[in-house]
Amino acid sequence: LPAGLSQWFPALEVLDVSGTGLAELGAELLALPRLNTLLAKNNRLGGPGSLPKGLGQAPLGRSLRVLNLSGNRFAEVPPALLGLRGLQSLSLGGNRLHGIPPEIQELRSLEFLYLGGNFITSIPPELANLPSLNYLVLCDNKIQSIPPQLAQLHSLRSLSLHNNLLTYLPREIINLVHLEELSLRGNPLVVRFVRDLTYNPPSLQELAGRTIKTRNVPYAPSDLPENLLRYLSLASNCPNPKCGGVYFDSCVRQIKFVDFCGKYRLPLMHYLCSPECSSPCSSASQSSTSQSESDSEDEASVAARRMQKVLLG
Amino acid sequence: FRYTRNLVDSGNGKLNLMILCWGEGHGSSIHDHTDSHCFMKILQGNLKETLFEWPEKKGNGEMAKKSERVLRENQCAYINDSIGLHRVENISHTESAVSLHLYSPPFDSCNTFDQRTGHKHKVKMTFYSQFGERTLC
Repeated sequence: LPAGLSQWFPALEVLDVSGTGLAELGAELLALPRLNTLLAKNNRLGGPGSLPKGLGQAPLGRSLRVLNLSGNRFAEVPPALLGLRGLQSLSLGGNRLHGIPPEIQELRSLEFLYLGGNFITSIPPELANLPSLNYLVLCDNKIQSIPPQLAQLHSLRSLSLHNNLLTYLPREIINLVHLEELSLRGNPLVVRFVRDLTYNPPSLQELAGRTIKTRNVPYAPSDLPENLLRYLSLASNCPNPKCGGVYFDSCVRQIKFVDFCGKYRLPLMHYLCSPECSSPCSSASQSSTSQSESDSEDEASVAARRMQKVLLG
Repeated sequence: FRYTRNLVDSGNGKLNLMILCWGEGHGSSIHDHTDSHCFMKILQGNLKETLFEWPEKKGNGEMAKKSERVLRENQCAYINDSIGLHRVENISHTESAVSLHLYSPPFDSCNTFDQRTGHKHKVKMTFYSQFGERTLC
C-alpha cells in the first residue's frame, strides 16, 4: 500500500483490499484515524509482520471496529491485533489456525467472532470472558470438546459448532438462555447412551475432604497446611439436586440426553460424585416420544452391570 | 445471524419468488417441500446442495445421503418431494451467497429432519422481508 495513504485520505472509513495478493499490511495504515472497517480477505497474509507493529496503540487501533482477514494463511491469531480494544467484529475464517490464544479475551468489545474453517482443536476457557460476544462461529474445525465456562457467555445469541469432532457437550450449555441458534450437525455426537462405570474409588484424602464439606466441619487457615486448604477450596458440587455431595478428583462421567429447544436430544456430560448418584433431570427435558434406553433404565440394575467403556471423544 | 428469506413476488398467488441471502457458513436444515415444485438459481457465490433419501417410517438411524454437488453462479436446480430431501449450505468462509427461489404452489410450512435420527419436525417458515419491507415477529 502506498506510503502516503493516511495523508491523502485522512477521512477514510472503509478500506477493502481483498483479493489483491497482499502479503503484509504495513505501517502506512496506522495513521488512518477514521478507518473503522478493514477488509483484507483472500490475500497472502499470515507470515510474521503481516500486521503492522504497534497496531493497538496507533490511531487505527482505536478506530477499527470491523476486521476481516478470512481466506489468508494465518497459522496463529496474530498477536498484533490483540490490542484492538474497540474491535467489534473479527473474521479469521478459512485460515490455518490450530488454536485460539487465551489473550483473545483482551478484545473486550468483540461482538462477532468468525473462526470457521480452520484446524482448531480446542477452545480456551478465556474465550468466555468476552462480555459482549453475540455471534460465535467455530464450524468446520477439529474441536473435540467445549469448555463448560463457555456457558458464561450470557450475551451469546448464535453458536455455530457444526462439522467438528464433538461427542458430547457440557451440561452447562443449557444455561445459555439467550441462545437463539445452535448448529451441531456433522459431529460424532453419541447417539446410543452408554453409561461409564469405570470409576476410580476416591482416595482417603478425598473421602476426608468430602466429609469436611458435607458435614460443614469448621476449619480455620491455622488448622491446616496451605496445600490442604487449597484442596478443600476446589470441591465441586454434585449436580444431583437430591444429593448434597461434593467431589474433588474422583467422579463419574455420565452422559445424559437432554431435549434441547424441545426438538433434539443432545448428549450432555454430567459429573457425579459416585455411581450410586443419579443425574439430575434437566428442566429442558421433555419426554414426548418413546425414550431410548437411557431414561427407562433402572439405576440399580445399571450399577449392578459389568463395567462398560463409554464412547467419549 | 442465519440466512434470510426475502419475498419479492407472489405472481398470481400461485407462486412465491424469493431471494435468499446466505452469510459465510450459513446452511439450512434438511427439509422437504410440502408437495410443491422448487426451483433455485444461484445469483452470487456458491451453494452446496446435499440430497437425502426420505427416512424409514419410524426413522431410527442416520439418514442416507444420495448425492451432493456445488452449484456455481447462474446454475439452476430443481427439487420436489418425489426426488427427495435436501440441505442447502454456503460452505464458504470468505464469501456470502445469494440465491433465487421459486416455489409453486406457495407453502409456509415444511418438515425439518435430524440427520442423525431421521426424526422430522414441522416448522413454520418466515420471511425476513417481503416486497422490500422488513417483516417483524
